[in-house]
Amino acid sequence: MSVLRWWWGLLLAFALLAVGRVFLPLPFANEIMIFSLYTMGCNYLLGRVGFISFGQPAYLAVGAYAAAFYLFYVGSNPYVGILVGIAGGMMASLIIGPLFVRLRGDYFALVNLALAVIIFYLMQKVLAPITHGDNGLWFLTNLDSTPVLDLTRPEQFFIFSFLVVFALWAFYKYLDDTIFGACCLATKINEDKLRFLGYSSFTIRLVAFVIANTTTALAGALYAVYLGFVSPEITSPARAADPVVVTILGGVGTLYGPIVGAIVYTGMKDVLSKILGNWELVIGFVLVFIMLAGEKGIWGTLAPWLQKLMLRTAGGATDQAGGGR
Amino acid sequence: MINLQLLSSGIIFGLSLGSIFFLMTIGLSLCFGLMRIISLDQLLYYSVGAYITFSAGALLGNIWLGVLCGVIVAGLAALAVERIVFRRIYERDLPFTMITSFGVLIGGVGVIKYFWGLVPRPVSEPIAARIDIIGTDIPVYRLVIVAMAVLVYAGIWLFLNRTIIGKAIRAGTEDVEHVEGLGINVYRLFTITFVIAGGLSGLAGGLYAPLIMVDPNMGLDVLAFVFMVVIIGGLGSIKGTLVSSFLVGQVVSIGSLVYAPLAQMAPFAIMLLILLVRPRGLFGSQLLKR
Amino acid sequence: MSGTDDILNVSGLNVAYGESKALFDITVTVRRNQVVACVGRNGAGKSTLLKSITGFLKPTSGTIVSDGINLVGLPAFVIADKGIKYIPQDKKVFSDLTVRENLELGSYASQDYDWGPVVQFFPKLKVLMDRKAGYLSGGERQMLMIGRAILGGPKLLLVDEPTEGLAPSIVMNLRDVFRELSKKTALIIVEQNLPLVCAIADKIYALKEGRIMAELKEHDEIKPEACEKYL
Repeated sequence: MSVLRWWWGLLLAFALLAVGRVFLPLPFANEIMIFSLYTMGCNYLLGRVGFISFGQPAYLAVGAYAAAFYLFYVGSNPYVGILVGIAGGMMASLIIGPLFVRLRGDYFALVNLALAVIIFYLMQKVLAPITHGDNGLWFLTNLDSTPVLDLTRPEQFFIFSFLVVFALWAFYKYLDDTIFGACCLATKINEDKLRFLGYSSFTIRLVAFVIANTTTALAGALYAVYLGFVSPEITSPARAADPVVVTILGGVGTLYGPIVGAIVYTGMKDVLSKILGNWELVIGFVLVFIMLAGEKGIWGTLAPWLQKLMLRTAGGATDQAGGGR
Repeated sequence: MINLQLLSSGIIFGLSLGSIFFLMTIGLSLCFGLMRIISLDQLLYYSVGAYITFSAGALLGNIWLGVLCGVIVAGLAALAVERIVFRRIYERDLPFTMITSFGVLIGGVGVIKYFWGLVPRPVSEPIAARIDIIGTDIPVYRLVIVAMAVLVYAGIWLFLNRTIIGKAIRAGTEDVEHVEGLGINVYRLFTITFVIAGGLSGLAGGLYAPLIMVDPNMGLDVLAFVFMVVIIGGLGSIKGTLVSSFLVGQVVSIGSLVYAPLAQMAPFAIMLLILLVRPRGLFGSQLLKR
Repeated sequence: MSGTDDILNVSGLNVAYGESKALFDITVTVRRNQVVACVGRNGAGKSTLLKSITGFLKPTSGTIVSDGINLVGLPAFVIADKGIKYIPQDKKVFSDLTVRENLELGSYASQDYDWGPVVQFFPKLKVLMDRKAGYLSGGERQMLMIGRAILGGPKLLLVDEPTEGLAPSIVMNLRDVFRELSKKTALIIVEQNLPLVCAIADKIYALKEGRIMAELKEHDEIKPEACEKYL
């Protein structure tokens, strides 16, 4: 692929890092990082495979609670906690995936919603003895020796989460350029044709499902480590559609979309709730507006325009740039 | 453990709950069957119906009048949304319309919050009387709710089977293009169906309001339940939603007598089961691509 | 022979499915009470043409004029209301409704409650009135589809592969029905059955890969072998 693109991505990443450190308040920056991760999974499912999931909170909770259980009951190393969260997410999606992925799009969305609600009630009531229900689990993270970054310190957490986000962004970018990525897109566009070509759409969807939801679980684990606290609230049904909203806002199917969406959404939530106290109204109307205006979202609309700009300045030398991201 | 009185009150409770579910899900089912949209915004008309019942009822001093106003306003809201939003997006695919309807729902919740604030409000029951059935005190109001659901079912049945518009709608659930090819204005059918759905959702909200408090998130709280009922019954089937509404109503009601937290979850477990074993629901028809 | 006798003038029609072009610069004329046939292999674009005329597909360019009005851009039900009715290939009727109710819908749409002509063409339907349309055979469904469509006395019927999958005796029956129909209604019939269309058509368009290869108007041109040449 075009050298131009990699270079561009790296530059943007460092620029973001600098901007983040300097201009944004740290809690805000950290929340954006985690939220971007959360949204990436949803974005991949919706934008690349064509699956809409109203149940992402379920996997967020799996990751968060897995990490929390480890950090509360077993040890206190945040890195291990995160790994446990990832493992939990991967396991859960491997178990649930084969069942869900067979379903049609609309049923898939609702079934995930059902899962989110079930996990909510599980964590809140049924497993209350170990999850402490609504009171949540509080824990402290501690590192006996500091391998690289001490995650208990917000600035260092920010660097860590930034690296994670960048790593995953690069991973998804790489994925897009592989055969697998092409297959995913093909499932969305014309599944029958893909099957006639000999690919198993079931396997493709399953793998995409696991990847996306493991990412979400990772976000959950990061949440747990960052906040030092987990409660069923993160998977409450009212929050079930947050990732979808942010995905659309940012630009579904784009690479930068989740990050842009996360920034705008968190920003709006912060600003608006101070001014209006009723930001749902705005979010709702914005969402409808975006959908009616072509569902491209913020980055989805900006990207082609930026790309044209880039091509003009770069003289069009290396313009294998198809598919504006 | 469970004595007869408790059981009978549980059954009645379940019937009234099922009735509310039913009123909400007919509209959803019809909207899906005819227009192939999953209209999450119906939850909004439910909330609107409840809130208007609350306000109008207080203003006019009569809850029943409040309910009537609730239905009317809910229907009008549905009309406005159909015209402004959905009319433009019928040809789009399902996730698209689903997300858009969700946007409407959230925006609408915001509007409600703006006008009525965040605090949940109680609504007084129009009929405080209770009667004695098998030795238990049953609120008459709950029986009235069940009666209303039966009336509505009868009305919808007559509409769909004995009027020409109803038959056109039924034909449309099979193949809208063929209906249009005859020369029938299908867009008007869409509007009619959508408004009926909105009105029924408003009725559900208005009737349910005295039994719960009205609060801005009431639509979202109930969202998952409602969709679960529709899926179990089968998208597009009125008979299906009737059966699954009452089934779920009973499961929740009697289940909570046994073990409360599980009762809330049980319907979801059923839905998951149905989706995995028989995805089209109990009565849904094999849905053909448009 | 004059222009005012034309009830349909398609000119320069281009239709595409997304990026993939299906029809290139199509020009077709149909006169009052004329039987026009459209023949071609699978995928040639015949159904696409019918769907574009009746408003189910939007052309990228070109005009479709009938009685002075450009039909392009009008919703399908408006076009049907103007007396241009489409009978699709899929042999689909409203299964959950009875035959009677299917016809009632047709009557409601066209405001024509006189079922005399329908029963005259298809006496079998009279017997089947109260049967649910889902239980009809392929031939009976085709009859119902046509019967429904002729309510309101349309000026043009576009019929898509009516004899596909039907028994020879029913095919004969349909041939006679079309002949009778053409006395009051113009027809555009898409067909693969060449002997049939050659027997009843006044004019044949041969379509290949989205283009019109030939327009056969003369009586001695209209023969199956002549059509084959252009396909």
